[in-house]
Amino acid sequence: MPVFSKMPAGKHMKQKPAYSPGQNIVYMVSLAWEQRRSVIWLALTMAVVAILLSLTQLFVVPSVLGVVETDASAAELTAIILLFTGVLILLSAARSYFASCSQFGRIEVRLIIGSMIQNKALTMSYPDTLDQNVRKKMDKASMLVTSNSAATEAIWTTLVNLLKNLVAFIVFLSLLAALNPFIIIAVLVTVIVSFSVSNYLNGWGYRHRDEEAEYSRRMNYLSERSGDYTLAKDVRIFGMQGWIEDVYNSMLRLYRSFVARGERVYVWGNIIDAILAFMRNGIVCLFLIGSVLKGQMSAAQFVLYFNTVNLFTSGINGIMTDLATLRKQSLDICTVREFLDYPETFKIEQGIPIAPNLNIPYQIELQDVSFRYPEAEKNTLSHVSLTIRPGEKLAIVGLNGAGKTTLIKLICGFLDPTEGKVLLNNIDIRTYNRRDYYQLFSAVFQDFSVPDVTIAENIAQTDENINRSLMERCISQAGLTEKIRQLPGGVKTHTGKVFEDGINLSGGELQRLMLARALYKNAPIIVLDEPTSALDPIAESEIYSKYSELTDGRTAVYISHRLASTRFCDRIILIAGGRIDEEGTHDELLAHKGHYADLFKIQSRYYREGGAR
Amino acid sequence: MKFRIRMREWKKGILNKSHVSFRETVQLSLRGFRVWWRENPRLLLSVLICGVVSALTPYADIWLLARLIDEVAVGRDPHTLTVYVLALMGTSAIFSLLCAGLTRWKNVQLSCLWHTQNKVFLEKLLSMEFADIDDRHVQELRSRIWQNTDSGGWGLYKLIYSFDAIVRSVMSIISASLLTASLFILPVAADRGWLTILNHPVFILLIIAVMSGVTFAAPLLSVKASSYWVKYADENQLGNRLFGFWLGDLGNDSSKALDVRIYRQDILSRNNLKKYNPFTPASKLARASRGAMGGYQALSGAVSQIFAGVAYIFVCLKALGGAFGLGSIVQYVSAVLALSDGLSRLIEAFGDLRNNTSFLRTVFEFLDMPDKMGQGDMAVGQYSGKGYEIEFRNVSFKYPGQENYALRNVSVIFHAEQRMAVVGMNGSGKTTFIKLLCRLYDPTEGQILLNGIDIRNYNYYEYMQLFSVVFQDFKLLSFGLGQNVACSMNVDSDKADQCLRAAGFVIRPDRLPHGLSTPLYKNFDEKGIDISGGEAQKIALARALYKDAPFIILDEPTAALDPVAEFEVYDKMNDMTGRKTAVFISHRLSSCRFCQDIVVFHEGRLIQRGSHDALVSDRPGMYYRLWSAQAQYYEAKS
Repeated sequence: MPVFSKMPAGKHMKQKPAYSPGQNIVYMVSLAWEQRRSVIWLALTMAVVAILLSLTQLFVVPSVLGVVETDASAAELTAIILLFTGVLILLSAARSYFASCSQFGRIEVRLIIGSMIQNKALTMSYPDTLDQNVRKKMDKASMLVTSNSAATEAIWTTLVNLLKNLVAFIVFLSLLAALNPFIIIAVLVTVIVSFSVSNYLNGWGYRHRDEEAEYSRRMNYLSERSGDYTLAKDVRIFGMQGWIEDVYNSMLRLYRSFVARGERVYVWGNIIDAILAFMRNGIVCLFLIGSVLKGQMSAAQFVLYFNTVNLFTSGINGIMTDLATLRKQSLDICTVREFLDYPETFKIEQGIPIAPNLNIPYQIELQDVSFRYPEAEKNTLSHVSLTIRPGEKLAIVGLNGAGKTTLIKLICGFLDPTEGKVLLNNIDIRTYNRRDYYQLFSAVFQDFSVPDVTIAENIAQTDENINRSLMERCISQAGLTEKIRQLPGGVKTHTGKVFEDGINLSGGELQRLMLARALYKNAPIIVLDEPTSALDPIAESEIYSKYSELTDGRTAVYISHRLASTRFCDRIILIAGGRIDEEGTHDELLAHKGHYADLFKIQSRYYREGGAR
Repeated sequence: MKFRIRMREWKKGILNKSHVSFRETVQLSLRGFRVWWRENPRLLLSVLICGVVSALTPYADIWLLARLIDEVAVGRDPHTLTVYVLALMGTSAIFSLLCAGLTRWKNVQLSCLWHTQNKVFLEKLLSMEFADIDDRHVQELRSRIWQNTDSGGWGLYKLIYSFDAIVRSVMSIISASLLTASLFILPVAADRGWLTILNHPVFILLIIAVMSGVTFAAPLLSVKASSYWVKYADENQLGNRLFGFWLGDLGNDSSKALDVRIYRQDILSRNNLKKYNPFTPASKLARASRGAMGGYQALSGAVSQIFAGVAYIFVCLKALGGAFGLGSIVQYVSAVLALSDGLSRLIEAFGDLRNNTSFLRTVFEFLDMPDKMGQGDMAVGQYSGKGYEIEFRNVSFKYPGQENYALRNVSVIFHAEQRMAVVGMNGSGKTTFIKLLCRLYDPTEGQILLNGIDIRNYNYYEYMQLFSVVFQDFKLLSFGLGQNVACSMNVDSDKADQCLRAAGFVIRPDRLPHGLSTPLYKNFDEKGIDISGGEAQKIALARALYKDAPFIILDEPTAALDPVAEFEVYDKMNDMTGRKTAVFISHRLSSCRFCQDIVVFHEGRLIQRGSHDALVSDRPGMYYRLWSAQAQYYEAKS
């Protein structure tokens, strides 16, 4: 990924991570073992190939030099070189081959984790999706499956490297054991000191990762906005170019000086490393030269040991780097697992199963329900009691922010009351399997989720066994027949941007599509939350006139802030001040001359004769 | 929070298979370098200097180590050995310090690479003609540029890395050649029998030919292997988009959470992910990676070892022939391998540049789009006392790439200081009419005149000064409240305050801890506040008032407001618009009642015009239909 942004790895945690690196390795290995065993076999093979390759390479030059030194025959020399070359060819070929084909299994395992995260996100108890802490966990977890370098995939590379470096370490150590142990200690000490210093200094970036993420988030925000088609109009009308560029440039300057600050810290790591390397190499070289001068060592051996020390050095470095990477990746995997383990607030599998049945009358009753959003100071709804009778057409009206949508969320079981109960046929809905409970509802909410699938799949919300005639009927009831006829692919046309033929529907068309979807679902209870806000008055009026036909004897709850649009309902409740303020039919409410009548007067003022100025 | 899921970063991007000439490669790359030079010259300089120094580092070591080994093998003079050891250690220390400093400097410059590239696009997007932004072709261009640069850094971004690779490989080739030259010149001693054949020029040429052949084969094989990625590119990109949608957008957007649960979109998502997955080990690409593609990959890995084998045999036989000592074997072998490596990298870098050319073509096609907005040069001027008069004369308009006219033959004049309402059903052309008026599009046929002169003759920016618009889909930016009203970093606080109040926005200190500098929303500054749709609409209204333009246009200005707030806005409309010319678009006809002049659009045509009373008495007319559709709910049942 060409973006510089380093993902904040893991968390800034004071408390202990939920799982140790060992536990996380076991977790990943057993996941791969269940899902795609080849990932593990390939990783082991790659480690073996890498070890053999680095050993062979170590011995090439000294062996060849040894042969030349002893003045062997040309044939012998050639044979040795050919032997080495043959082995190297095989090993290099194997390394490239496995590197190329091992990635697919690893991607698959990462995507499996991705689907697990997504499945959790799509089905977790609704109140948790509103909780900022849970959302943060979710955001972090989903970032950790986004690229090849994410921990859920890159951990395999780390494990292979670690294995290779550990084996190589043992081999090099036994080679060097023949030399003075003091050399080994000198190498170990300098490498570890230098690594620890650099590692500490390089942690600067990690310690300041929030600051960095902030800069890049801000600049990305501006980049995204600059191409936004709807903003583009405002940009031109209000001459916002200079403003946006000024903000961007000032961000860029701040960011550059932030990076410079970090680099000025990192450079000390390089300086200390250079000094320690100078000392280490000096000691090793002088010792080797000493052995040479004492006549204990040939030139070939000199080269062998010189190279071994170098490889030993980089091997230890490698192990420490791998361990540091593993620790970070393990923290990342903890983040993923913590989200997956997050406990559900609602009863799901443990709840009583329930299946929608159009022949059963469903009555929903709110018993003295109060609701307060977490951390809010006031109740959104207080002591609301309401019974929705089977087959009733209920309208809920009220000003913006009065709590209409919250009421709907309580009815549909998205939120549980802070006090009181919601009953379905006299049983508290908390005892049901919540996922099943949702199946009782057909709904059009104010915010839609329209996946990038075909129109037909959007209406049926499934990709198999679509009932064509039911779908056609719903399309026609929602007034979309003409529009769909004009589409080149008809109902097989995709919406959205994923597919090449994807189309964008206008606000009004989308609202009709959502209506068709709700009708297709054919659930016992229909909920419509401002379903005509994007339609023009004539279209709106058509929908109203067909309302009885659309709801077809089922229980229906209709929400609006346009009071008068609810006249076709059996009963209207006005929500104000967190409670049911008034209740009755339209005419009753007008006759009552309360809030409803006042609001109606304001709204109708311009429509009634004499209201104009 | 928005993010993408990528299965795999592309090695080769979306390869455009069309032919790219060498000339075009050089031309476009140079142009690209000039863009970077203009944005930040230090970027290229730091890459150049750092590349030169770090490419030289290993060769100093190779040379000194060879001398040391020679001395170990033959002379074994303690004094000379010590000098060589110290020289070797000293040079490496100095070079590593130098490299460290330079790399740090380069890192600072490169850290801004991505954002600087975005800045180039951002500036273009902000200044290009509006009609182009909306154009399908331009949108495709942009999405291609974005996908290319995001998936493999293709385009401008790549150039810097290619430059780095070229600098390093060229330096490496030069140094390695210097260290290698004597390998071919130093002769095998004449008494070494058949080994003297190594001295023969033909043999030397043959060796060079074999080595270069092998050197060139490696990158070719590697390209062959990655061509499989190109072969399945479409499928894979669809895969990336699908995963990005299902694994990314769907779960992350909390506004979708209700629908997702009611309609069990988790199941839909699972099925869709199973249906198209080009990345499992069973996919075509994965099969190729185990078959032919893997084979090429393996060959390209093996070839460099063949090269090493040839080099070893040649160097060692010459050494055996007495041409040079043991130390030189180390030097020549390392240098020859480095030379081959340098050449491979140079070839690869050129290959990359060549591959990059078609992406650069896209980039420049975008950056070179003509800026028609700059054309007119007439000043708008001030007509004291008279004000501005605008006339649509037989204006018809089709959106680019559309068959049907969105507006047909519209002729209308509107005078200064009037209040006009534009009504009609969805898609009747109301908003298009406004877009033409604000010169976001030019008419396909006909003319729009300001004080009798075609608006295209006026300077674009001057003409824009005339309008304040609140579009139905207006956008606020997540910066300070005051900046949003002023549309600038410099805010006249008193005026902003006044306009916010006039628009009905209540500045409560508990809501706005930092007053006008409180940021809106949280996606830029976490200290920002979340505002409701109604509040946003009021801020947008304040922004329009702050601009204080002679024309104020409001497109569904109260859609997000509840009846009481709506009533307040209309109640104050007269004060707000003052003596300005005001145009309202609404499909709530109640808002028309206070306009003297109402125009009705239907299917792109202007079909009715007049006062409310006149229009409503025209029973077969469209206005009456629209009116009664809404008024039916309010008519008192008496």
